[in-house]
Amino acid sequence: MLAFLLFTLAPLLHAAWLSLYDWDGLLVGRYVGLDNYRALVSDPDVQASFLHAGKLVGFYAVLPIGLGLVLAGVLTRHPVRGMTFFRTTLFLPQTIAGVVVAQAFVWFYAETGPFNRVLELLGLGDRVTAWLGDFDWALTYVGTIGTWVTFGLCMVLFVSGTQKISPSLYDAARVDGAGAVREFLAVTLPGLRNEIVVAFVLTTINALRGFDVIYNATSGGPGNETYVPALVMFQNAFRYNKVGYSCAIAVTLAVVIFAVATLINLVAERGER
Amino acid sequence: MRKQWLGASALCVALVAAACGGTPGTTTPASSTTPTSTPSGSTTPTPAGPQMDGFDKLGPVTLNVWSYDNQKPGLQNTIEDMTKNFMAKYPNVTIKLKFMAFNDLVNTVNRSLASDAGPDITEGNQGYQTDAAEVKAKLIIPLDPYVTAYGWDKWWGDSTWQIFQWTPDGKTFGQGPKWGVAQTGQNVVLYVNKAKLAAAGIDIASLTTFDAFDAALTTLRAKLPKSDPVIEFGNKEGYGTIHFLGGVQGAYGDAKPVRDWIYHVAGSTWENDQNTKALQKLADWAKAGIFNKDYNAIGYDDAAAKFAKGSGAFLYEGNWETAIVKKGLGDNAAVMNMPPGPSGKHVGIGATSGPWHISAKTKYPDLAAAWLNYVLSSPEAEASMFQYQQIPAVAGATAPTTDPFLGEVTQAWQQAVQDDGLMLYTDWASPSMYDTLSKHFQLAMAGKESPADAAKAIQADWAKFDTTLH
Repeated sequence: MLAFLLFTLAPLLHAAWLSLYDWDGLLVGRYVGLDNYRALVSDPDVQASFLHAGKLVGFYAVLPIGLGLVLAGVLTRHPVRGMTFFRTTLFLPQTIAGVVVAQAFVWFYAETGPFNRVLELLGLGDRVTAWLGDFDWALTYVGTIGTWVTFGLCMVLFVSGTQKISPSLYDAARVDGAGAVREFLAVTLPGLRNEIVVAFVLTTINALRGFDVIYNATSGGPGNETYVPALVMFQNAFRYNKVGYSCAIAVTLAVVIFAVATLINLVAERGER
Repeated sequence: MRKQWLGASALCVALVAAACGGTPGTTTPASSTTPTSTPSGSTTPTPAGPQMDGFDKLGPVTLNVWSYDNQKPGLQNTIEDMTKNFMAKYPNVTIKLKFMAFNDLVNTVNRSLASDAGPDITEGNQGYQTDAAEVKAKLIIPLDPYVTAYGWDKWWGDSTWQIFQWTPDGKTFGQGPKWGVAQTGQNVVLYVNKAKLAAAGIDIASLTTFDAFDAALTTLRAKLPKSDPVIEFGNKEGYGTIHFLGGVQGAYGDAKPVRDWIYHVAGSTWENDQNTKALQKLADWAKAGIFNKDYNAIGYDDAAAKFAKGSGAFLYEGNWETAIVKKGLGDNAAVMNMPPGPSGKHVGIGATSGPWHISAKTKYPDLAAAWLNYVLSSPEAEASMFQYQQIPAVAGATAPTTDPFLGEVTQAWQQAVQDDGLMLYTDWASPSMYDTLSKHFQLAMAGKESPADAAKAIQADWAKFDTTLH
């Protein structure tokens, strides 16, 4: 409780307080009320960043959960040897620092990198470009980095979830002659409800507050194609000396994340009834 | 239970009060130390000017120094070697050097100077977001007493000193006390891979005008393999385009209008022919495949490293990349300024290296100035800079004749200075200008925005900030 107050609530309230000031981080601030919030609503960079964050939810949350579910379904029906090895390997991306992941993908998607080599081998040599520097594709390819990172987490969550589903349910389904798809929909999916909610909340929060991978892979470019809220917040605080405004973005982001997480839980609870 | 809850609520209220405090920034000390009033630890009666030697009597002293001159081989070696010499002269003095990337330093230095654990000596950056903020918040001290005492005023002319001058309110750039001093002359130069030019039948001596250079690009594009860019280019950080455009702007006009715009001289504008034509030229080159296609994903230093390994026929980057290029290409490398436009003047992005400042919180400003004087201008420092292919900023430094490549780099700097062609850095014009320029230059180069629209957006940023200066 004390730790929560000291290290979570106090900084949050402090940020909220600062967001009401026009402050450069050095001199005496000037109280401006809600002006910072009014300004950010019409700031095109902020607008773009929240839009991009929304799109990234698809790559950081929806896609990894879908992939994780499919894999969990396959593995429960056809257990493979060396499961621990697979689980460890697929979970590994979670444990690597974002900076390292970003550097690796910068190399992977570079004009002369392995991804383009594969395209050339497939006869798509004319499509070769620097994907992270491409105006139309940068956000998508930054998104795939997120998919790669979070997919293992989802899969590990789901596979361990399936292990606590009673085997008798699977036996019953098979006696009733259910195929793989039917079995997955009738037994695995409902049995994983809680895991899915947890995974969805975790990965969505990751998507919305993402910074390290994007800062290191594209720095928000090209243009502002990969601006995300945390990056705009960083720019305002550390480059433009607009600490109050930056705090307003931070508070807004926190509120949005809180609202989205609450919404996910509400929807999940309603579904349970 | 109830008591516990009460206790927790009380704590909560206390924390909220502590977290919110008063108006942010009120705890920052408002006064600064002036150098002449603090010959700290000195046993002699207060001298007329700053203390310039005898620091061995200070007792054990530690100075923290921050720098982003982290090129190795390069300026980092010089700073390290000269610091060793300095510490050998004053064994009681410990200088702790901390090198970091440019953005990492610039994004954190102001808050660090404001804290009690900041550097005693640090590099800053011209422009409103760093130097002006430091001046305004009294985080650094004016160096004028040292400029007089050490004779730094003879190092360069008035227009160069302007880049270290600010009025004490941090609002007017180019006037007022001198807050910084610098080590090397840095300008963006054209690196040439001589073998590739020769193979394409182009005589390097024929590149005397911008038009000739432009034509050579077309010839090279036809002759080089498709996978090889004519110009190796790196713009991942966003300043690659800012540097590059400067040279092209130079082909369509003088440096002075650009400098005036940076200094916010009334009536200045970015929306003119010089700038839109230059931006259009860059977009045309990008479209014609003159650059490597992945330039927005390649770092500035990485591009230099790739050029040094043989990628591209030209590289247009800062002369601080000289050592890397020379190490890779050896005698195959040549250096020149961007060939000039009709005016015949060599114009491009350039200034001295980063401004060195002395913290207002240091207890030993005189010692800090002595370190700066030694590292920036001693004969040993000058020799060391040339050894690492750096051009000393101080006037009249002559490169050793044994190194023709270094002679070319020195000549390029001195030629740009003579032609009044140093454009400074255009992102100094407002705190957000760096991002505004890099964003709109990328858009315009990719053909996503017309040069006129880009110019309009850039001028809008300038105008918005301009209103806060009056």
